Amino acid sequence: MKEKRTFIYNLEYYVGKFKFPLLLICAVVLIGLPFLGTSQYIMNLAIKIGVYAMFGLGLNLLVGYVGLISLGHAGFVAIGAYTCSLLLLKAGMNFWLALLLSAVVAALFGILLGLPTLRLSGSYLSIVTLGFGEIVKTILKNWKSVTGGTLGVKPIPKPTLFGTSMTLANNGLYFIMLFLLVLVTLFCIVVVKSKTGRAFLAIKTDETAAVMMGINVTYYKVLAFVLSGVICAVAGGYYATTMGYIDPNSFTFDTSTTILSIVILGGMGTTRGIFLGSLILIVFPELSRALMDYRFVVYGVILVLMMRFRPQGILGWKSQVPYKLSKRVKKEVEG
Amino acid sequence: MIVQLFNGLTLGMAYALIAVGYSMVFGILRLVNFSHGSVYAFGAHAALLFVGFQFGLLPAAILSLLLTGVLGVLIDKTALEPLRKKGSVPVASLITTIGISNIIQNLLTVYFGSERKSFPAVFDFGSFKIGDITITSKQICMCLVSLVLMAILVIIVQKTKVGLAMRATEQNSKAANMMGVNVNFVISFTFFIAGVSASIAGVLIGGYYEVVYPTMGFMAGLKAFAAAVLGGIGSLPGAIVGGLVIGISESMAATFLGSTWRDCMAFVILIIVLLVKPNGLFGKKGIVKV
Amino acid sequence: MKKVVAVLMAMALSMAALAGCGSGKDETKAPETKADAAETKADAAETKADAAETKADAAETKAEGGSEPSGDPIYIAVAGPMTGDNENYGKGFYNAATMMAEEWNAKGGCMGRPVEIVQYDDKNSPEEAASIAQKIASDGNVAGVIGHFASGVCMVAAPTYQENKIIEISPSSSHPDYSGIGEYIFRNNTVIRTEAGAALDIAVNDLGKTKIGVISIMTDWGTSTGAIVEELIAEMGDKVELVAHEEVEESSDDYSPAITKLNDAGAEVCVCVGMYSLDGPVAKQYKAINPDIQIIGFSNAYDEQLLELGGEAVEGMCFPVLFYSGSDDPAIKNYVDGYTEKFGGAPSALTSQAYDSVGMLLTAIEECGTTDSETVMKKLYEITYPGVTGETKFDEIGDVQKEFVKMTVKDGAFVPMN
Repeated sequence: MKEKRTFIYNLEYYVGKFKFPLLLICAVVLIGLPFLGTSQYIMNLAIKIGVYAMFGLGLNLLVGYVGLISLGHAGFVAIGAYTCSLLLLKAGMNFWLALLLSAVVAALFGILLGLPTLRLSGSYLSIVTLGFGEIVKTILKNWKSVTGGTLGVKPIPKPTLFGTSMTLANNGLYFIMLFLLVLVTLFCIVVVKSKTGRAFLAIKTDETAAVMMGINVTYYKVLAFVLSGVICAVAGGYYATTMGYIDPNSFTFDTSTTILSIVILGGMGTTRGIFLGSLILIVFPELSRALMDYRFVVYGVILVLMMRFRPQGILGWKSQVPYKLSKRVKKEVEG
Repeated sequence: MIVQLFNGLTLGMAYALIAVGYSMVFGILRLVNFSHGSVYAFGAHAALLFVGFQFGLLPAAILSLLLTGVLGVLIDKTALEPLRKKGSVPVASLITTIGISNIIQNLLTVYFGSERKSFPAVFDFGSFKIGDITITSKQICMCLVSLVLMAILVIIVQKTKVGLAMRATEQNSKAANMMGVNVNFVISFTFFIAGVSASIAGVLIGGYYEVVYPTMGFMAGLKAFAAAVLGGIGSLPGAIVGGLVIGISESMAATFLGSTWRDCMAFVILIIVLLVKPNGLFGKKGIVKV
Repeated sequence: MKKVVAVLMAMALSMAALAGCGSGKDETKAPETKADAAETKADAAETKADAAETKADAAETKAEGGSEPSGDPIYIAVAGPMTGDNENYGKGFYNAATMMAEEWNAKGGCMGRPVEIVQYDDKNSPEEAASIAQKIASDGNVAGVIGHFASGVCMVAAPTYQENKIIEISPSSSHPDYSGIGEYIFRNNTVIRTEAGAALDIAVNDLGKTKIGVISIMTDWGTSTGAIVEELIAEMGDKVELVAHEEVEESSDDYSPAITKLNDAGAEVCVCVGMYSLDGPVAKQYKAINPDIQIIGFSNAYDEQLLELGGEAVEGMCFPVLFYSGSDDPAIKNYVDGYTEKFGGAPSALTSQAYDSVGMLLTAIEECGTTDSETVMKKLYEITYPGVTGETKFDEIGDVQKEFVKMTVKDGAFVPMN
């Protein structure tokens, strides 16, 4: 146990020390990926990983920082995907504007879903979110005049930037994904580091104590639902354009559990973990096509073993490096 | 209209039977057992397998009850008990049950194939006509059998020594442990009963619709869970009432809104009820200790 | 800030791993593909040069009654649901394709090269299918794709195939827009309208029913077919009446609310727009409350499973099919016996269409003497293929027209009507 601690300490220490070179390497690798002659299949996979990482980051705000388990995030993804693609297709709107509007719609639904949190907690809340996912799906199926019912929405146009269509072939889609991913990641980090993030963590650790400290628990819980929903909706809206086709069956309970599994597998309440979780859970089914029927049995076994031996997630360790006070605080403390 | 009501009643009984399993496990462990739907599908497939051995339907059903009960215990012993011993966070157990559900459902697909398979009818003595209304004997028998089974469960929980231990564990497992209750045995027993009731539900519902398939437990499981929460989780009469409310409202939704809306009815009603009564219709108020 | 770095490091690690895995894959695949491409070209050249020889070879092969195929295999991809809810359809496609490939290989292969079937599992999900289409396009060594099962799934994958000039023949897609996606996209199945017309023809003209109730399944296929059935009934004028149309969820087994509605509306005939998995239970549940109801199905009712699921209730049920496995035609009999012996169950209509699709593709390749997709694609529009599902010829958009056989269930077996 001691050795492990040192290893993590060292890791964190060196990462902290060389953060700028590491950042640079990341940026170079990510931007250079399409120019290494990678096939469209790999690029498609990379986009899928990025999108699911965004879903995971969104859910992580809720699960990892506020401690509310949602089993219906596919609902938010669906809302984003449908709003965005319908605006693109029927209103002929600009992609970025459509994406923005789908975020607004998702925020409204986030408030709607967040309100029951006033009265419910734990498993009861989870089942309400599960119900939310199913209700969204049923409405999409039945509201034929708008959503096209089971026929789905197609063909969804690709996003355009300065008049050029962004496709898989010219790597435009990939770079939009990178842009959105960086944006979402930075947003999450900012939120977590802010007063809001500390309020989230306080609620997760002890709700009663948080109330005593004067934190408006209701406000922050609803806020978490809104932020989390918005991120998933934006990612969903983008994903719809890469797919070119969506129908209500693209957003099932399975999607929700996959997103939750990404968060749990990688490490709840960490940002690094979500990337790894998404990478593993998206690549695994692709690599294991040879296993055929047993693929999902193995998937289940992995989940069970993970929970048994490393429930905090693969990268879910507590920081070993002493907490650094900000300069202002330090000055005050030192007098 | 009355026919639709009766359709809903039968469906509700089916949900109630599955809901009991959720309710009992949740009552003791505070855990949503997502694998319960697959356990139910497993029960139906086990019965199908044993029917194939030509012993007749009843022995086949009994064998499958035992096997499914054992499966329930096995799930607890191999996957959930170690988590409890480690004192993991509740979400770990939740994810574990999702994983188990994945395993069971896909193994069933591997061994039985994904297609709908024919299942022998139970209690099929034709149908009655009262005025304009046609009611099948299957529907009546299904309701009766479900009620009898519920009564047996209530007797087990309320009148037997194991039942007393179960209730004690439900109230406070640590205190129960100190009073000499073998908590681990009680939990295993609960899983056994949950497995058996799921299997009974599997055989009855399989026999009612005369089809079984590996993914049959998914939607039924979710709705039954909604029924359990609706009635007040941990309460047996609550599970029955919850099941009936959902069954009948689905049937009504199908009549007045169209069949395609029925799947979300369970959740709409659930959300409304939970907003008004957060612990469900018959749920006990949880005491939050600071 | 530390977290940012940690995140980015994780990202770098993951992306590096991805790139590693990607390039790894390429390393294993690329030489093969390139070699394959080179060989294909060489082959093409050879074929042209030795055209006479090839012909002589073929003649010899026939004379000898089969020789070992040699050289690089011709790969044909079969994509469909191999796991999940519809796996029996995907597996049927695969079985039929392997059977056809074995027949060709026994005859000496296609252009003297062995035929190999590669299977891809799309789980009938558009998302998976898109990924598979990309994979097939990236690998680039496949002579053609047989498949994708549901129309919606086909429609997602097809643009990728069209873009990369890969021939796709779907044995099951029935959405009107599918084959119009491009010239590389074919369908060996009739469009919905023709089939719905045949089904209504049975109900109205053969059985003389006028009050029609429709139960349709809530999938893309079910919704569009249901709408077409409604349209066709409206076109029939006053003598035929649509009394009720109910949509049902695919996953629910309880159809009684819908059935009760139809029955209250006084339907004489119930048109089931769904697979056998809908027809069987609906027939059972309907006959429980009204034993006189006439059930009409679609060609996908034609599956041994229907008899098992429906039991006595499907007795007298009628539906149109393109393929009848009990036919006396020796070619069909041969095929059905072979299939039954090999896979333990008679082939369904869709499976047989997959079988014909593979045969057609291989015939086109053989006649062109190359696997170059553009040449083969053009050839596919020209040939008329005498398959087990009847004479098959693609029209200008890649659709087929076929004759329907009207079938019914009698004494627990499928027989032609009358």
